[in-house]
Amino acid sequence: MENPYIPRKAVITNIEDETYDTKTFTFEFKDCQKGIEFKPGQFVMLSIFGYGEAAISIASDMDDPSHLELTVRKVGDVTGALFSLKEGDQVGIRGPYGNSWPVSDAEGKQLLLVIGGCGCGTLRPVILYHRNNPKKFKSMEVLYGARTPGDIIYKKYHEEEWSKIPNTRILLSVDRVPENTYWKHEVGVVTTLFEDIKTNPEEALVFICGPEIMMKYSVIGLLKLGFNPDRIFCSMERRMRCGLGLCGHCQLGSKYVCKDGPIFSYTELKHLPDHIVRSD
Amino acid sequence: MKPAKKLMKEELGQFVDHLSKEYLVYGPVARRSDFSFQEIDSAEDLRFDYTTTTIPPKKFFHHRQTLLRYSGEDYSELESTLEKRFLLLGVHSCDLNAILRHDRLFTRQFHDPYYLKLRRNSAIVALICTHIGNSCFCASLGTGPTIREGFDLLLTDLGNEYLIEVGSSEGQRMIEELNLQKANSSDLEKKEERVKLALTQFVKSMKMDGLNQLALKYLDHEVWSLIGEKGGLAGCFACLSCGNCSLVCPTCYCFEVADIPELSLNQGVRIRELDSCQLLEYAEVALGGNFRRDRKARVRQWMTCKFGGAGGGFDSSCVGCGRCINACPSHIDITEVAKSLRGE
Repeated sequence: MENPYIPRKAVITNIEDETYDTKTFTFEFKDCQKGIEFKPGQFVMLSIFGYGEAAISIASDMDDPSHLELTVRKVGDVTGALFSLKEGDQVGIRGPYGNSWPVSDAEGKQLLLVIGGCGCGTLRPVILYHRNNPKKFKSMEVLYGARTPGDIIYKKYHEEEWSKIPNTRILLSVDRVPENTYWKHEVGVVTTLFEDIKTNPEEALVFICGPEIMMKYSVIGLLKLGFNPDRIFCSMERRMRCGLGLCGHCQLGSKYVCKDGPIFSYTELKHLPDHIVRSD
Repeated sequence: MKPAKKLMKEELGQFVDHLSKEYLVYGPVARRSDFSFQEIDSAEDLRFDYTTTTIPPKKFFHHRQTLLRYSGEDYSELESTLEKRFLLLGVHSCDLNAILRHDRLFTRQFHDPYYLKLRRNSAIVALICTHIGNSCFCASLGTGPTIREGFDLLLTDLGNEYLIEVGSSEGQRMIEELNLQKANSSDLEKKEERVKLALTQFVKSMKMDGLNQLALKYLDHEVWSLIGEKGGLAGCFACLSCGNCSLVCPTCYCFEVADIPELSLNQGVRIRELDSCQLLEYAEVALGGNFRRDRKARVRQWMTCKFGGAGGGFDSSCVGCGRCINACPSHIDITEVAKSLRGE
């Protein structure tokens, strides 16, 4: 019987700085099995022995499962320990776990992504899927808000590569611009960008990821614009101990974020307790 | 079903000795002020008249386990050692139902090898409960005092002897070599009388139907602030967040996972151990966040879980053993919470 608690051995093959507290790590698996098959929105459990495990969303290109990319913000023990590692070091990884962004439901339709802070990691596979298959969605609009220009992750890609994908609009905004910093995009919280949304609320799907308070105000704004709560999806984060639907820590009412989520439609989410996305 | 047998009470010692050849036998014994499942050396220590133990038999299956061993950046699964099978002797219906629920919980989407290894290494001789405690309410939940499944053998105290019913082929093997008398229909009738008598002893009850939906619907119900903040529900005080209720609950299963390094810091083990949603740290997230910082939210989570409305569903719901009522220093009574939610 396979032991679901035992991770696979993975080696760090590349480390890319995103911001002062965020890096993208690339891993290759040491076992002979081919990389990792996953769906966009899923996460893995990352082990640094002596520190523990943490749930991290997958940021890779799902058409290229040979290696795994995780964009990680340094916020705790495990992520802190990961930041002290270098290329060639080994970690443990198990997964993928959880449900996924309903990408196939969005085919032939307009797609709106609303991103806050480093929530971009979990939506990167969606953007890359769109880049690889630019005809699957009718259009993609990305609204991305961060605290300062220095907090924007994948900045170069947003500005230079992804904005050039056909039928794609990328709007960036920051809460504030420090002195002597060049910034050509919007200033204000991410909802400031809502005035400029070109996506038609009638048929579009919306994928949101970011801090819960940002998701809450995004949902309020989107509902006002006429977006359908059944087609607004939020990615929830909890500190998970197992990722297997057992340890209990990520429960929201009758749902496990690790197993029934992390992606929930707003219609589903608004009936669940113990989060602040609910806007009524 | 194999025909039932009878064991004279003076033969209980021989029976336990016989079981001890094959199994490490644990049974209820009296301690200072409570009962506890402990290893049995002699049948004289057994207290088949026990009401309930403070800690449920889940301690044998799910308490603290080593998940893996690591050394540097390498790690390995622990090698499986063959241990002597163990037997829980005298398990009541509430606890047996809880074990059966955990059997399902730990085999839902992923099979939990640590739980299953211990479970598969165990046997259960259940006992019809005839000494109903003041906090017990299994009868109202359909989880006792009768027992229909999940045992290898089932004992009922008939006065001068025990009725022995067989629930599995392993149970049959346990008594094969003993020259036991066959039970007759009047013995089975006696058993029914015992159960009927037990049913008259219940003080508490709880109506479970729909409680899960009520708990999830009325997130701001007054009862949550009564038990979580103010006190005053049937004379209770506010919850102290001690976590006793989770520790003693036979269906509470939540666990913490932690790496425990040795002094060298180079190697160590990853363990898991029981946790409680009543503890502040349980719902902590990165950067100091906590999505159940209020005690009100934590007691609501626990009660919702026991009403079958949390992530464990039916498999972590209440079996009516009454332990949380006995163990709560604030005298919070789950049956009173249920009544209040129902508006009774």
